Amino acid sequence: MHREIRDHIEDVLRGSQPDAREHLAQCDECRTELQVMQEQTALIRELRAPEDFAADLRPGFYARVMERIEAEGPISIWNLFIESAFGRRIAVASLALALLIGVYLVTSERSAEDVTLAVQSQPAIMEQTIVLGEDAPAREITRVDQSQTDQSSEDAVLANLVTYREQ
Amino acid sequence: MDHKTSEEAALVRRVQARDEMAFREVVERYQSKVFSIIFGILRNRNDAEDIAQQVFAKVYFSIKNFDFRSSLLTWIYKITVNECYDYLRKKRVRKLVYESDFSQEDAQRMEASEPAVDGSVPADIRLAQRDLILKLLSKVSEEERSLILLKEVEGHSVEELAGMTGLNENTIKVKLFRTRQKLLRAAGRLTRTR
Repeated sequence: MHREIRDHIEDVLRGSQPDAREHLAQCDECRTELQVMQEQTALIRELRAPEDFAADLRPGFYARVMERIEAEGPISIWNLFIESAFGRRIAVASLALALLIGVYLVTSERSAEDVTLAVQSQPAIMEQTIVLGEDAPAREITRVDQSQTDQSSEDAVLANLVTYREQ
Repeated sequence: MDHKTSEEAALVRRVQARDEMAFREVVERYQSKVFSIIFGILRNRNDAEDIAQQVFAKVYFSIKNFDFRSSLLTWIYKITVNECYDYLRKKRVRKLVYESDFSQEDAQRMEASEPAVDGSVPADIRLAQRDLILKLLSKVSEEERSLILLKEVEGHSVEELAGMTGLNENTIKVKLFRTRQKLLRAAGRLTRTR
């Protein structure tokens, strides 16, 4: 659209810009665009409500508004997470991340505990094998089996046993 | 126009201080206007009250953010139009759905009560045109939509709009022109895709 029309478009649409007629008579582009704008303006004006519509208002509207306000309460920051799809995704991703971190922490703590237990149990097992060794080798083996819960501890006990026998 | 010192500003400050009587006054002052804006856009009597309630609930919760740059009516108008578009978006109103929401009574009322419309245009075509213009208006920003509706539906002049929004007249003219151009382009795209 050319400047001659563009600068006065509101007046032209209202039909109160006689100077524009000369340009419109010569310019197809401006004429076509203006025609579409006029049609759209007419359609927008149809969004006006009928004059008598307000008469249909039911009494007690204010009370119903207050009821809604009380029901809704103030908007909390949590509503942003609960009500929007993006917020829900963030919440789910955060939960998943927290779960992963939790699982990692628990498993890493457990393996650290196992190592500590294995280290701590070695001298006790050795002591036990020395005390029981000569009299009851069969009992000793049974006891050793019962006291071991993981492979590393079992290996350590067997190594001790072999060393003791060799001596 | 100074929106900070008017009688309306004093009323808004009372609402901001959670004065229920002041809020009641705001509701009673603007409820008819809000209803007519909603019905004008949606032509759905059944949901108009529900949306109007939502508008005033939003006003109540958001009025602390009202900065007096525009008039209270302009601010409420924008909230109302946004609520109507939220409603349309939620119900995913397309042509057929929209028509099914439109009752026989509404159609008769529309036929009888719109003097500005060419009576020779059949109701179904007018519904399609209404649907089209609502779609086109959804393609512009909230501010542009409110501005063009205030101009064409409410009949405010550029000077009045400048006073209501706190913008200068040239800015209003530029914004209106850009909105009209966007509507023009949106209509072109829609025609090409059909």
